Amino acid sequence: MAKHPVSLTVNGDEHDLLIEPRKTLLAVLRDTIGLTGTKEGCSTGDCGACTVIVEGKAVTSCMVLGVTAAGKEITTIEGLASDGALHPVQRAFIETGGYQCGFCTPGFIIAAKALLDENPARTEEEFRHALGGNICRCTGYTKILEAVMQAAEEIRTTA
Amino acid sequence: MSEYTVVGQTVARVDAVEKVTGAAQYGADVHPPGMLYGKLVRSKHAHANILSIDTSAAEKLPGVRAIITQADVPSGRRVFATDKVLYLGEPLAAVAATDADIAEEAAELIHIEYEVLPVVQDVMAAIKPSAPGLHGDATKDGPNRRDINAQIRKLSREKEADHSDEISALEAELEKYPDEVYYNISAESHSEAGDVEKGFAESDVVVEDTYVIPRVHQTYMEPHVSVASADSSGKVTVWASTQGPFAIRSGIAGTLGIPLTQINVIGTTMGGGFGGRFGVIITHVPAVLLSQKTGRPVRVQMTREEEFVDGRPAPGCVIKLKTGATHDGRILARQALAFWDSGSVSGASIGSTIRVRGVYKIPNLKVDAYGVHTNKSGTAAYRAPGAPQAIFAGESQLDEIAERIGMDPVKFRLMNMREEGDAVPAGGSEPKVGYKETLEAVADAAGWWDREAGENQGWGVAVGDWTNGCGPGGVYVSVHEDGSVRIFHGSMDITGTDTAISQIIAEILTVPYKSVTITRGDTDSAPYSTGSGGSVVTFTMGNTAKLAAEDAHQRVLELASERLNTNVDNLELRAGAVHVITADPPKSISLGELAAYSLSTTGGPIVGKGSFARQASTPALAAQIAKVEVDPGTGRTRVLKLVASQDVGFAINPMAVEGQIEGGTVQGYAWAMMEEMQYGENGNINPGFVDYRVPTSADLPTVESVIVEVPAPNGPYGAKGVGEPPITPTLATMANAVKDAIGVRITELPIKPEKVVDALKNNGH
Repeated sequence: MAKHPVSLTVNGDEHDLLIEPRKTLLAVLRDTIGLTGTKEGCSTGDCGACTVIVEGKAVTSCMVLGVTAAGKEITTIEGLASDGALHPVQRAFIETGGYQCGFCTPGFIIAAKALLDENPARTEEEFRHALGGNICRCTGYTKILEAVMQAAEEIRTTA
Repeated sequence: MSEYTVVGQTVARVDAVEKVTGAAQYGADVHPPGMLYGKLVRSKHAHANILSIDTSAAEKLPGVRAIITQADVPSGRRVFATDKVLYLGEPLAAVAATDADIAEEAAELIHIEYEVLPVVQDVMAAIKPSAPGLHGDATKDGPNRRDINAQIRKLSREKEADHSDEISALEAELEKYPDEVYYNISAESHSEAGDVEKGFAESDVVVEDTYVIPRVHQTYMEPHVSVASADSSGKVTVWASTQGPFAIRSGIAGTLGIPLTQINVIGTTMGGGFGGRFGVIITHVPAVLLSQKTGRPVRVQMTREEEFVDGRPAPGCVIKLKTGATHDGRILARQALAFWDSGSVSGASIGSTIRVRGVYKIPNLKVDAYGVHTNKSGTAAYRAPGAPQAIFAGESQLDEIAERIGMDPVKFRLMNMREEGDAVPAGGSEPKVGYKETLEAVADAAGWWDREAGENQGWGVAVGDWTNGCGPGGVYVSVHEDGSVRIFHGSMDITGTDTAISQIIAEILTVPYKSVTITRGDTDSAPYSTGSGGSVVTFTMGNTAKLAAEDAHQRVLELASERLNTNVDNLELRAGAVHVITADPPKSISLGELAAYSLSTTGGPIVGKGSFARQASTPALAAQIAKVEVDPGTGRTRVLKLVASQDVGFAINPMAVEGQIEGGTVQGYAWAMMEEMQYGENGNINPGFVDYRVPTSADLPTVESVIVEVPAPNGPYGAKGVGEPPITPTLATMANAVKDAIGVRITELPIKPEKVVDALKNNGH
């Protein structure tokens, strides 16, 4: 299948790539660029494990074709820590035990980060519904919500 | 309060940073140079004879490097179906190509000709004489019945003439076979204690019901995946997402006839397992075969859809249960007849039917259980395999009895619970356990004793018991010249076990938790280790770690004795240094100094070794209470409160233990209320997250967990296995709460809204 030249920015780095139009953004990130922190859990946009931020919005990267991400700014789990320091959401997931097997964790952290960037003043009930696109099979969500609320608190008080 | 400084404390897990930064390497993240992508070719029918497999079109597709079928399995052991498929999605061939999309395209180009056969997917239909015999002579398929069935099939195929009268006559003939002769039986299990008939006769109240529990998928978030690389010397390396690398090694060796020394299995970070990743080798063997054929590394990764059609989920079952009790609340007898849906192969958890006895004094008990073949994939373990199903029946029926004799469900359970020394129905006697403490703890925490329920609201309680497994393991500990401690072992981390092992070793060597690092070896380098399932790891590897640390501790004291010129009895290891107990002024030497000193001694570096295989485990109880509100119009059930207590023996890392309780409880909730693998005329019809719903954060409130600690005599620091118990009572907890809310007992899971509406309608609401 013919490949198309595509430029996209991932975690601040520019990538000039040749990709087949049928490849998803998830496949481009994982197989072409080699950023495997973003996970493939269902390939149908239902589990949220592949969530990345595209132009400020959380999207399931298995539902986006790589060619359509041309020229866009993308943040993956690998781009969250800055200057060697973990993002408050990452720290909160560690401190509250918000992850177990860790497979859904990058998607959850990215989805939570996007929500917090948008509005850190949501209630727990609002976060519960806003994070309904991400499936975790290990935690039962109690500690994930604790983590998100803790990070929200930190972001609100330091902003 | 605690005499310990590291165990019993909440600590961040050893793998914390790699898991929150995306650095942890899971199976599909392994990408050796030159890797090819493998794809399994699957049956499109649930039951069919295979007439031909034509790979010619697929072979011509650019990028295809190999196509294999059963003819390419040198050992002849069955990897792919040849003459007949028994379920939708059964593997028939595999493809390796340079790109994942090309592999998928090639798989679609393989043309398979089928002769479709009659399908049976319901256990109760499968045991009837009219069902097709799935394994012919291998089952209890009576000869006359088989002949009659063959005649019916033959007549049905003859389209030219109308044979409906003959067929009806033959079907009537089939119906003459007695009901108690079951067909398509894959295995059976029976046990008996006392005399149930006598027990029922003496009972004032007898309740009998049939409970139907669906097949559900473990739904670990990482689908099955393996990467295999066979080199020219014949050595095979397999990166596997598995709970048991050593079991995978022997599984591959046995299937392909390769010596163990020629196989190295590297366990990758596991994206959930819950029992479904124990010894299952769906992807590993095809990956090895494809790599052997192409001389290149090959990754075989299942999609979520493939997981649903060809995973090894938890078996569904039908349990007919009967319980008798006296007016004053003593349970006298219980009898179960269970049919477990084992799918195309034998192996459902039929032995777990005995768990209908619960933790109660039941003098008369009889259990008959059968595994039944159906046109579905085989099954595997799922978190306390078989217990949630059996306990759902047992604990649902207990509430019915309590209601009929007018006794509070918690008091009724407390009154009948076994105590230390009591006989366990059909097996042994009870050790010291925390059954009553655990139930009382959840009742107190949930506010059971002064509970209030508004309109359409209800409360439910249930308990579930489980005993952790145990298996072999080995651990090495070494102390280094900076005072740090290194651990080496071969068991897979299952949500925090590496952390528990590290805590135990830090505790014994009196170093800070942060000074300990832990490394997992592959099957080429590490001592044998049991699979990480059955709640074994903290029990087994915790004991192993303890022995290794104690061994190192002994060597440390010997070195200090040499260095400080005093008897070992005068020495004590505390806060990372060996102190002379009686010295004034104080005299001590740090672990780091001793480790440095050890390098120039005859004895050499400080290395502790621990090895352990078997010790009696102690049962653990999980007790749960739910408060729900049911909308009678839509049938939707909303959970208002969910409280879960568990006797964990000793919580080595309380935060991780809470996580296990919360996660297990939510999986139980989902089995009760949402999850069900559904089967149509031709196999699974809901192979995706839109139709197979698992809970999200929007479905539930916070789960409140309550830790109860009644120490296990042989557990490390008294710890029991914690992973499995919390899923065991939740199915009944939810059903009991719904019953309390709407006044109607639902015995068939999941309790979906439509079922609630129907139940209300049938009861004249």
